[in-house]
Amino acid sequence: MRNHNVFRGALLFVLCLAVALVIGCGKKAVVQEEMGVVVKEPAKEEAAAETRPSEAAIEEELLKEKERQEKERVLQEAASFGDIYFEFDQYDLNATARETLKQHTDWLLANPGFDLLVEGHCDERGTAEYNLALGERRANAARDYLVSLGVDAGRITTISYGEELPLDPSHNEAAWAKNRRDHFVVTPSR
Amino acid sequence: MKKKTFSILCLVIFLFSLTPAAPAKVYMDILSPAFQKFPIALPDFSALDGREGESPLFREIPGLLSNALELTGFFRTVDRNAYLESPETPEEDIRFADWRVIGAEFLVKGKLEETGETLTIECRLYDVVEGKMLAGKRYTGKRGDEKAMVYRFADEILNALTGSRGVFDTEIAFSGKKNRVSDIYTIQFDGSNLRKRTDNKALTLLPRWSADGSKIAYTAYPQGNPDLYVLNLATGKTKRLFHDRGLNLTGGWSPDGGRMLIVSRRDGNEEIYVHELETGISRRLTRDPAIDVSPCWSPDGKRIAFVSNRSGSPQVFVMDGEGGGVRRLTFYGSYNTSPSWSPTGSRIAYEGRAGGQFQIFTIDETGGSTTQLTYEDEGAESPAWSPDGRFIAFQGKRNGKSRISVINANGLNPRVLYEGEDLEAVSPAWSPHLNLY
Repeated sequence: MRNHNVFRGALLFVLCLAVALVIGCGKKAVVQEEMGVVVKEPAKEEAAAETRPSEAAIEEELLKEKERQEKERVLQEAASFGDIYFEFDQYDLNATARETLKQHTDWLLANPGFDLLVEGHCDERGTAEYNLALGERRANAARDYLVSLGVDAGRITTISYGEELPLDPSHNEAAWAKNRRDHFVVTPSR
Repeated sequence: MKKKTFSILCLVIFLFSLTPAAPAKVYMDILSPAFQKFPIALPDFSALDGREGESPLFREIPGLLSNALELTGFFRTVDRNAYLESPETPEEDIRFADWRVIGAEFLVKGKLEETGETLTIECRLYDVVEGKMLAGKRYTGKRGDEKAMVYRFADEILNALTGSRGVFDTEIAFSGKKNRVSDIYTIQFDGSNLRKRTDNKALTLLPRWSADGSKIAYTAYPQGNPDLYVLNLATGKTKRLFHDRGLNLTGGWSPDGGRMLIVSRRDGNEEIYVHELETGISRRLTRDPAIDVSPCWSPDGKRIAFVSNRSGSPQVFVMDGEGGGVRRLTFYGSYNTSPSWSPTGSRIAYEGRAGGQFQIFTIDETGGSTTQLTYEDEGAESPAWSPDGRFIAFQGKRNGKSRISVINANGLNPRVLYEGEDLEAVSPAWSPHLNLY
């Protein structure tokens, strides 16, 4: 009996101990957690001191990436800037060309962070020199029209490639018609 | 200037003991459309020392001479199989009747000797009809110098029969484009020695030779804008001469070498300027809101032909060296451009539209006697005169493939100088004499 009691007592002790342990452990864990917060605070501050700029850098990078993506998107949008076309040995703008240039103007006015390069091109017929001059005239005709519609002249540059860079290298009327063009290249403002 | 590739001792043997008042044949108008090619006999050479023997050169050298003469378009080699006389027949025994009967009017007899690396050749030109010698030369050089010796004697023949030497020592420069970039190339009159002269990795256009042949000016885009550069052929060094925003186009180099015509937009639209190379001063010659391009000098350097669309379509105009006295030269057709003034005469070559294609024409500087020179199926553009005024180089196409051709100034004897496999060859420019031989 006594043995039994002793056993009971021991069992109780063990139980109590276990409970105490469990409680203690629980308590300890909480404390530790609290401690952790407290103890770790300075450490975290240190870490933050290290990571904050890098976090900022990351953020900046993200922002830059976002900007880049946005610019990319905008440039992609701008890449669909339609060419305008000319008659043989002519550099005046027809109604279709003017309509296209009006759309380009809207876009340029809505996206002030971008500049425009106007490339003047010719078909292969005729002299290289004369076509270089003609290409220059074609590019300038588009520039002048864009400026007249309100685009800042400082945002537009022109270049003539004459007959040197045909879009379609074939030697026929269909190719020539495609090649007598102004091509537009949008770039972020410098 | 390229150095002479070799030096040959060149002796005039048998000076013209006969009166060089050689007949009406001499100085006959080889540029007349009615010109008949000189029929010339070119038998095998024989040994200089008169000994029996064989050398492959006995046949090769007259063969080279035949090629050289036929390149000019002024000669026709009489069929070798028709020759009656043995090559060893001494000069004093030539039976001119035997040459006349097979249709030859001229005959070249030659001898040669090879001793070690030394090669000596001796050539005599005979007028078969008159039965007399017109020219005789002996050349001594090294084995391998055959071509140079042959070109020098071909020059002698041309000089004797036409009054001036040939253009074997000239090169034609052109712009060759591949994969959207181009460079300046040069090729010799005989189609040999094609060389790439620039490496701009950008569009490189409109070569123009300096008067002494030591430099080539061109327009190129390596910095994004069509700027004007000058390449020194001897040093390979390049100098950027003009980089005004917009076009900086090459025009002709003056015959005295001191001035260069250029086209610039520095005053707001394409105008022609003359640039003094020594002082660096440019003067504006044209004042017109229209396009003014493609200036070139008259041979005396006092007048300038150029293209303007001031009358509505591109036409060739002429003005004096100060920009005054402007007059329109071409009236026929709605597109006449690319003038090139004959260095020896009063004619101006240009390209114009005929039957839906561009073809090469010539016109007198007074505006008279327009002549269509080419009838190319796929067109001909950008004429350039040889320095002797007897040939015109131009760009053309065959089956869409680009080529540079040469034609006699009378429109006869077209020949392909360069055909591009993958290179688009345009804008030929003919060098002055370069003394290559």
